[in-house]
This record gives sequence, C-alpha cells and structure tokens, in this order.
Amino acid sequence: MIKVINLSKTFPKKDGSMFYAVDKISFEANDAEIVCLLGVNGAGKTTIMRIISTVFQPTAGSAEIQGWDIKTQANKVRENLGFLSGDTGLYNRLSGREFITYFGRLYGIDDATIAQRIKDMATLLDMNEFLDKKIEFLSTGMKQKVSIVRSIIHDPPVMIFDEPTVGLDILTARNIVAFIRECKQRGKCVLFSTHIMREAERLADRIVMIHRGKILADGTLEQLRQISSATDLDDIFVYYVNQFTDEAEVLAHEF
Amino acid sequence: MNFKKTMVVYRKELLEVLRDKRTIFTTFILPIILYPIMIVGFNSIMMRQTTMLEERGATIAIQDSVNTEVSRSLVQGLREIKKFSLMPYSTSTPHLYAEKEIQAVVTIRDSLGSDGLLYYHVFIQYDKSKEQGRIVYNDLADSFTATKNKLQKEQLTLSGLNPELLNLISVRERDTSTAQKKMGMFLGMFLPYIVILMLVTGASTVAADLVAGEKERKTLETLLVSSVGRLEIVFSKYLTIITLSMLNVIINLFSISFSLKFMLASQAASMSGVQMPISAIFILLAAMIPLATFFAAVLLSISTFSRNMKEARTYEQPLMMVAMMMGMVSFLPAIEINNLMALIPVINIALLFKAVMINEYTLTHLLLTIGSTIILDVAAILVTIKLFTTEAILFRSEDEGGILKGVAKNKKNLFNPYNGMVYFTLALVALYYLGGYLQGKDLFMGLIQTQLIVIALPVLILLKLLKQNQNEVLRLKAPRLKEIVLVPFIAVPAAIIVAILAQLINAFFPFPEKYVEMLSKLFTMNQSAWKVFLVMAVLPGICEETLFRGFLMRFFEKYGAKWAVIISALLFAAFHLDPFRFLPVLLLGFLLGYLTIRSGSIYNSMLLHTLNNGLAMFVTTFAGAAWMKPLLKGEDGLQYWLIIPAAIVFVLALFAFHKVTEKGETQCAE
Repeated sequence: MIKVINLSKTFPKKDGSMFYAVDKISFEANDAEIVCLLGVNGAGKTTIMRIISTVFQPTAGSAEIQGWDIKTQANKVRENLGFLSGDTGLYNRLSGREFITYFGRLYGIDDATIAQRIKDMATLLDMNEFLDKKIEFLSTGMKQKVSIVRSIIHDPPVMIFDEPTVGLDILTARNIVAFIRECKQRGKCVLFSTHIMREAERLADRIVMIHRGKILADGTLEQLRQISSATDLDDIFVYYVNQFTDEAEVLAHEF
Repeated sequence: MNFKKTMVVYRKELLEVLRDKRTIFTTFILPIILYPIMIVGFNSIMMRQTTMLEERGATIAIQDSVNTEVSRSLVQGLREIKKFSLMPYSTSTPHLYAEKEIQAVVTIRDSLGSDGLLYYHVFIQYDKSKEQGRIVYNDLADSFTATKNKLQKEQLTLSGLNPELLNLISVRERDTSTAQKKMGMFLGMFLPYIVILMLVTGASTVAADLVAGEKERKTLETLLVSSVGRLEIVFSKYLTIITLSMLNVIINLFSISFSLKFMLASQAASMSGVQMPISAIFILLAAMIPLATFFAAVLLSISTFSRNMKEARTYEQPLMMVAMMMGMVSFLPAIEINNLMALIPVINIALLFKAVMINEYTLTHLLLTIGSTIILDVAAILVTIKLFTTEAILFRSEDEGGILKGVAKNKKNLFNPYNGMVYFTLALVALYYLGGYLQGKDLFMGLIQTQLIVIALPVLILLKLLKQNQNEVLRLKAPRLKEIVLVPFIAVPAAIIVAILAQLINAFFPFPEKYVEMLSKLFTMNQSAWKVFLVMAVLPGICEETLFRGFLMRFFEKYGAKWAVIISALLFAAFHLDPFRFLPVLLLGFLLGYLTIRSGSIYNSMLLHTLNNGLAMFVTTFAGAAWMKPLLKGEDGLQYWLIIPAAIVFVLALFAFHKVTEKGETQCAE
C-alpha cells in the first residue's frame, strides 16, 4: 500500500520566490485498489508520483510504500514498486528480451527467474513474435508491451502509472487499461494519474482530485457525486475547481 | 555501492554503444583505414612528387656582366647540368620570372678589392617558398661551389702553392642521436596530440549519449525508479566512457604504429629495426589512464548537465578546443616538461609523452603528472555525482534555457556574475595594455598611474554614472576601533605565512631567471623608502581593494558570501598575471574578502593589504641589518620555523576578529 503524509515539494522560481508544485498532500492507496490522481496538466500529479518513486526528494512530509520510507529506505521502496508512464522511452539498440532482462538484473533477480517471467508474460501479452527484435523496429503498441513487462518483472506489490495512455492509440491504450485491471485482480495496489475524466471514471475505485498542488477531493465516484450533486465526472471536477478558486479569492481579499 | 549492479549497467551500456554504427565507425573502422591512407599514401605521394621535382627541368636566366674566363667557367659548370636550360638575361626576364617561366636568375658581378684582386659575386634569385625553387637553388649552389673549388686549386697550383692548403681545416658532423631517438623525436611531437585528440573525441560521442541521450529518449526516469542507486549509475557510465576512449586510443596507436612500420620498411634502411620500447608503452598507458578518466568525468558532467544531446555536444565543443590546443604544445620545440608544467593538466601529458619518447623523463615528472591529473579527476567525478544527485539539474525542464539564456535574463540587475566577469575582463585588458604601456615609459610613475587610472578611477566613475550609492556599494564604512587594532595582528603573521609559502613554491618550482630580474627591478627604483612604500603598499592597498573587495565582490554575492569571497579571490589572483604568485595571492584574497564581508567595512582589508605589501618591502630593506639575521634564510628569505609563531598569532587574531564582528554579519546576509 501507499501512504502519503503531508507531502510538499517546492521549486525555486526565477524571481527567487518558491513555487509549490505539491502542497501538503495526504492520501492513501490500499492493496487491490485502484486510486486515480485526477487533475489538469501541471496540477502536480507527476511530481507526486516522482516523489513516491524516489526520483525526487520531497521538500517536506513523507510517504511510505509497503511501510518503507521513501527518504530513508529508497532502495527498498524501488524494489517494491513498478513504474510505467505513457511517454517512457526504451533503449532502441537492445531487443525487448535484453531490455527486460537488464531491468530484471538491476532488481537482483536471477536470470532463470527472469527468463521464466518473460516467457509467461510474453504468452499472456502475445509478444513472442517480436521479443528478440531490436526495439527500434517495434511499433508503439509493441514497445508499450515491452514496457509493461519491464515494469512488473520484479513482481512488485505496488504499481504506479503516470498518465499511462498519453499519446497511445486506442488499441494500445486498451491493453494498458486491461493491464491495470489485471494488476488489481492480482491484489496489487495501483496508483495512476490522468487528466482524462473517462479513464478515471472507468478504472478508479477512488479518485483523488489534484489542483495546483493541492487536493480538491478524495473519495469514490459515488461519494463525489453526492457531495457535488452532479453525475458527470467533468461537472464534478469543475464544481470542485470553482469552489477552490472561490476560496482562493476570498483568501486574497482578506489580506 | 553495489558492484554487481554497477557491472550490470556497465555491460548494458557497452553492449548498446557497440551496437551503434556511428561509434563502431569512429572508434574502430576510421582509425584502421585512416592512418594507412594518411601515412602510407601521403608518403608515397610525397616521394613521387620530390623525385618528379628533382628531375623536372628548369630554365635559368644568366646575366654575366663580367665575361671573363672565371665567369665563363662558372656558367660552363651550369651547362653540364642536363635538366637546366640556360638563357641569357634580357629585358623580358623579370616578366618571365614573375610568370614562373624562369625558375632562377643568376647574376655574376665583380669588384676590385683594395688588395688589387678581382672579386666575383654570384647572386641567385629564386623562390624559397617553392619546393622546386629550393631544389634548383641547391643544384646551382653545388655547381658554383664545385667550379669555385676547381678554379681555386688551379690558381694555387699556378702560384706554386700546394692546392691542399685549402683543406687544412675540415669540419665534419657526427650525429650521436640514434635512429631510435630521431624516431622518438618525431613520434613525440605528434603522438601526444593524436592521443589527446582521440581521448576527447572518442569519449565525447559516447558521453553525450549516456546521460543527455537518456534524458532525450526519456529512459532516465525508468532507470532511476529501478533498483539501482545513482552512484552506481554514475560509475557505470563513467567506466563506459573510459573503456571506449581507451579502446579508441589503443586502436589508433596500433594503426599508427602499423602504418609507420610499413612506411619505414618501404623507405631507406636507416630507420629499420627502430621500435618503441615496451617500457615506454607502459609509461604512456599509465599516464594516459588518469587523463582518460579525467576527460570521462568532465564529459559525463557536461552530459548530466545538458538536457539533450545537441546541448551536450555544444557544451563539449569548448572543452575539445581547449584540449586540442593544449595538446599542440608538443609541437613547440622549446617547451620541455618541468615540475610546474607537470601540474598543468593535458599539457603535462603531452610534454611527458614527448620526454618519454626520447627517453628523457624523470620519475618526479611522471608522478607529478599522474598525481595532479588524478586529483583533478577525483574533483571532476565528485562534481558529476553532485550534478547527478541534484534534481534541479538532472531534470532541468525544456523551457529553462541554457546557461547563456539564464545569464541574459539576469542582466536586469546590475550586480550579476555576467557583468562582473565582463568588467573584470575589461580591467584585465586595460591593465595589460594601458598599464604595460605606462610602466614601460617610467616604472615608478607608471605604477602610480596604473593603480589610479586603471584600477580605482573607473570603478568610482562607473558608480557615479550608474547613480549607485558609493559608500554602500564599496562598503566605505568606518571600522570599529577593535577591528582596526586586530588587523595588524592578522596582517603580519599572514604576510609571513604567505611569504614562506611563496618560498616553498620557489624551492620546488624555481622562478625563471628573467622573472627574478624583473621583480628586482621593482625594488631598485632609486626612490626614497617612504615613496616606494606609498606606491608599492598604500596605493595598491586602497585601489586594489576598491576594485576587488569593494566592487567586483558585489557581482557574485547572489551566490552567497562564501562564493563571493572565493570568486573575488580567484579573480584577484588571476589579475596579478603571475602563475608563480597565484596561490599566495589567492590565499590573501580569501582573507581580504572575509575581512570585508565579515566586518562590513572595506577599510579593514585596505589596511591589511597595505601592511602585507609593506612587510615584503620591510624585509628586503632591512635584510642587511644585524637584528634581522636570525630571522632570515639566504639573502632575503624567511626562516621556515617562523611559520609556527605566525600561525598561532594568526589563528588567535582571526578568532578574535570573528568574535568582535559577530554582529557585523548583517551586511553579508543580505
């Protein structure tokens, strides 16, 4: 499971002031649950995911993956999570098999286990035909399948998907969506981010709405519908954003 | 660090690099085909060309204005050279010579000496810049010498003298250099250049790909979230670059030596059997590895800093230019390795190579070269690790722009590093040209003018023009009495420590004689002591402090007080245009910068600067006095033991100063 507590991340701006990319955020994601971080571009979704996956250091607050602290036990955290994003690049001069094996070895898995897992996944995802071709000759869909296998080669209990379907064609995107569901069925804790309302609606058990680095709302689709008295997720989202902006304006007037 | 994971990444990087056709071409194929073509091809063309020129006929215009038996036999000698066609000098000759129809013009004149003898003068007009011109000249000169010898012998015989009188003294050369050494000289000149060139070019293609390439292809994030630490990533990539660049050099050297052998075998036998000694190869490898690792670390940090490969290649350019130019030092005939040269990166390796090739190197030079390169190497790799773990750099976003754009945006504020560097450069240029000119005219007056006109005045005028508050910018704030009292207790021991340090540097890297001469000129200006004190101590104390601590330091304060002090000290040391004094002046610069920022008053550093310069004068002036004798070593050097009491007083006084100025910190915190 993922536990995020009071997480903040600031970046210095050109004029010397601080930009709050993530501002005191707390949420949780449990095993066998799909949690969606929903927000427009630049809301801070990627930053949150990068902090959770130890690429960034948080400015304040903390987060845990399976009980491992992201700051002090970064290596354990990385061993326990799989990471996949829509624009993940691959090493073009390696074959799919070499690529996956490389990452498997980095996780310290022995070659026999890696080979077995590749074999299982390749049959499942119908990849046997192109597994030994160089990646530069693969189509986007094929590449994405290679990335999928790469992300779960170490069978992590937590999966993080950062805008996993961005830039993908419909068929490839469907593969990803199916894969996310599959992860949940296997009991994994899944956190994925998107700015596409439909995707969130279709996949998420719980939705965490992010806007300008802050959490607008956190709940199941039903809960959010009830509070906002809107049915469509688009309308719900706009409802919360408006509320947020009003509050901000009130605050601005007070000072 | 996990060694196993480092090797996993290293092996993958190598595999990937070796699958890149460009790398394969530049690393393996190009050197294998390039040198045979270059050396063997060039050589055979050269040889053919020379033979052709030697055999090619030439037209010589003859102007024999004497027309005696002697002059005729001189011309006759030329007739016997078959490839020459002779023609008499005419009005069209200059035109034909200009049109290159005629290759040489021979003029014979005579003059009557006071001894009654008729002297003959032969002038040969030819174009020395042309290969053919030189060949023609040699043939002409040989022919005239032969005729001259023949005629002289005849004359001697006619006079009843032994013609062998002309050969009483003979001069012959005996060349003690072996073919081995000649070869070494030749290799020593161009091998270092090629090796350095190969190290950088081989490493740069790979380096740009390794981090900047991963950023560009968006694979870096995947690697960072996988179970491998950043230290392991940096080291594996570092190893990859080293491997490739070393491989590149070895293949190049192999190809060169093979081509050379082939060339020599096809040439005269004099060079045959010449080989590079095995020990030389090992020494070269030992010296090359630190250089390769140094380049690798620098290139890797560039790659880490850059957002994409194009940017990385752009930043690599200056490095490569500098490395190549430094490598060219081996072509300069007069420069040989010494202790000082052995400390300058790249140049030291080039000169060491040269020395090893002719078997004239010392172990000290070898160790200094390797040692200093390794120190730089470690520094560079630490920078790379730092860059790689700084997320603001590793994830620089596309809209941020490169270094230069960032600087451009900074320009709005007057006191930014860019403006500071521009001002410093201008001041340096003014010092070199204007100061040099003034001091050339009259040393004493020139020194005064330099301090006032070049160093201090422009700062004051500029601040006026820009409507800046002079007192505030330059920290013209009266120091407190406590501070003023403490400064001499810092200045005197500091001057002693710095002087001893300079002596130590001198002991290891003796000043060139010319330099010592120049310095002594400063102390023998034939001026009264107090005047010299004013010019050499007080004036620099005021003017140089105004420029460096008052003005220039302000430009770098955005990096924090520490960096402002460090950078201004570096500039201060560089401003003295004197490599031998760089370190002492740098240390002094640190101290002066600290005093100013800490106390918020520039008068403290002015006082210290004056006292420091004054003390050097003091020692030279009173070197002869009896009471100074126990403190001195040699003519005007200080005893080394003085450093101990000096250090104690220095530390205590500095500590006291630090305490006294506790509240003065506000100035630098801004």
